[in-house]
Amino acid sequence: MLAEAKGRSPERSRRNKHMKFIQIKQGKKSKHVVNTPGEYIFFIHNYSGEVDIEIKSQEAKVFIYGIYVGKKGDNFTLNTIQHHKIGNSISDLLIKGVFFDDAKFIYDGLIKIDKKAQKSNAYQKNQNLMLSKDVFVSSKPNLEILANDVRCTHGSTTGQLDQTQVYYLKTRGLTEDTAQKLLIEGFVGDVFNKMEENGVDDPVILERIRQSTT
Amino acid sequence: MNQSNDLQFDYKYGFSMPDTSIFQTKRGISPEIVYQISKIKNEPEWMTAKRLRAYEIFLTKKMPSWGADLSKIDFDDIVYFIRATDKQQNSWEDLPAEIKETYDRIGVPEAEKKFLAGVSAQYESEVVYESITKELTKDGVIFCDMDTALLKYPEIVKEYFGTLIPATDNKFAALNSAVWSGGSFVYVPKGVQVKLPLQAYFRINAERFGQFERTLIIAEEGSIVHYIEGCTAPIYVTDSLHSAVVEIFVKKNARVRYTTVQNWSNNVYNLVTKRAKAEENAVMEWIDCNIGSKVTMKYPSVYLMGEGAKGEVLSIAYAGADQHQDAGAKMIHFAPNTSSRIVSKSISKHGGRTSYRGLVQVMPGATNSSVFVSCDALLMDENSRSDTYPTMKIKENQVEVQHEATVEKLGEEKLFYLTSRGISKNDAEGILVNGFIEPVTREIPLEYSIELNRLMQLEMSGSVG
Repeated sequence: MLAEAKGRSPERSRRNKHMKFIQIKQGKKSKHVVNTPGEYIFFIHNYSGEVDIEIKSQEAKVFIYGIYVGKKGDNFTLNTIQHHKIGNSISDLLIKGVFFDDAKFIYDGLIKIDKKAQKSNAYQKNQNLMLSKDVFVSSKPNLEILANDVRCTHGSTTGQLDQTQVYYLKTRGLTEDTAQKLLIEGFVGDVFNKMEENGVDDPVILERIRQSTT
Repeated sequence: MNQSNDLQFDYKYGFSMPDTSIFQTKRGISPEIVYQISKIKNEPEWMTAKRLRAYEIFLTKKMPSWGADLSKIDFDDIVYFIRATDKQQNSWEDLPAEIKETYDRIGVPEAEKKFLAGVSAQYESEVVYESITKELTKDGVIFCDMDTALLKYPEIVKEYFGTLIPATDNKFAALNSAVWSGGSFVYVPKGVQVKLPLQAYFRINAERFGQFERTLIIAEEGSIVHYIEGCTAPIYVTDSLHSAVVEIFVKKNARVRYTTVQNWSNNVYNLVTKRAKAEENAVMEWIDCNIGSKVTMKYPSVYLMGEGAKGEVLSIAYAGADQHQDAGAKMIHFAPNTSSRIVSKSISKHGGRTSYRGLVQVMPGATNSSVFVSCDALLMDENSRSDTYPTMKIKENQVEVQHEATVEKLGEEKLFYLTSRGISKNDAEGILVNGFIEPVTREIPLEYSIELNRLMQLEMSGSVG
């Protein structure tokens, strides 16, 4: 374990130099073109609008992470496009949402692989937690694949907290509220772990993101 | 097996009989034609009125703005009604020789001898041959064509007809409601379990003739029935339109399975509306295999209206050259403790395009509902295309909704392994594709799954078997 971790760290710091971190902000341009190889991390938080990422380079690795926390009166609409125009590239999207009160989340995602973008790998995942009866979630993870030597997957899950997990925590003496809080933290924390794994280890960035989502 | 030469797959049932139709309407559609169809069939007045109203709705409805390309359909160049023979035949011997020959080639009599409960073979727009075993009649099961049902059981037809799929539903449902003829009517009384599957064969056999069958299945409380629809059609030069409407009512604790093996020839537009309503603890299963046609747009749906109702759609789509299969499923949860499952497998080859299009909707109050959707697509070459368009609308929080999809090509290691064992590449592809669709084919009666496996093998090898 230790050796493995040691062995990985120089590579990680090397990757970090090339890793580009882009936070999607309201009112900024929604189209992003990836023209050079390397790692890109896009981060989306409670953003309504379009995120259109065009991949026009081989060896490009694009990660898109999103966290949505919806409360009373919140209404989010997100469109994402992972458009592979050149093959030998990777895109990986993970959007997690936690919704309370009467929050609304309308997600429309598209993976598009052009005919000549062979050997593209594209992933798309949307997971939503619904913590109130009045929440509305609509999820449309679409795929349009015109090349055959590819691997594309998408998944979407929407539901409430796993009641057996809540029950387990309660048997350990935690209150319902604390149990819920812990499980939600774990659910969202997954996104941070993935970002760290992929090289977002600048404590300043991480702290800023954490602050903005809690 | 011919390996190197990629022959055009010759349509196996691509023969056609000389046209012996006795009556047909003139090309195109107008209120007069709609009226004429109803009059020829001696229909009750309410049905004539329904048809005429549906025709008005058809005119106002727009073509779908999504899905496959339908711009080539010319509604004025279609014959909307043909009567194949003058009257219903009730014994095999009385059938005209040509029709008999057509059926012989598909194998209807053998199938019947073996284990069919009833054959309702549709030749062109009306059922001309039909037999129901004594047992079914004894149990009170009604299995006949829709035209007969309308004349013999008008109260039942009137109660259900068009209540689940009204003419206002979509343009093609409106068209069907205006010009429908043929199709099956199945009524299973309370507690009756039909042990053998009911089968019907549909054929289009006149150039530019669209077939607009209308099927209605009513399964009363606690009953069980399995209905099988199999399609084979001869090849024609001009495009043909097939636009059916199927309505199924599954009452409390009842169970209905509807299996389709669609193998229209590659010039047919297959635009079908299929919907079922499942009441308390009812089970509705659609098994839908789309192999043929030029364009298919079909999304069998289940409205889960009663507590504990279950819905399932298992589907296979294959698209070869110039084919677009735009198929999927719809599950709408209205009641608590309802569950649905959709498993879709699609294969694109020779530039074909398959699209999965689905809708899952959980309405407020449908607590403890669960949804599982899984779509897998195989792309056999670089000219083919696969799309996945799922929609999930969730308005209730005590639910579990899962959706997953994958698109990929055949595993190279698996192909390599099989070829290293001395199996030709084409055969290996066939084996892997049959393995890929196995979760669906194992649910289909044996003789159909054998036929389907053979068909897929043929399609994969690109040679005539």
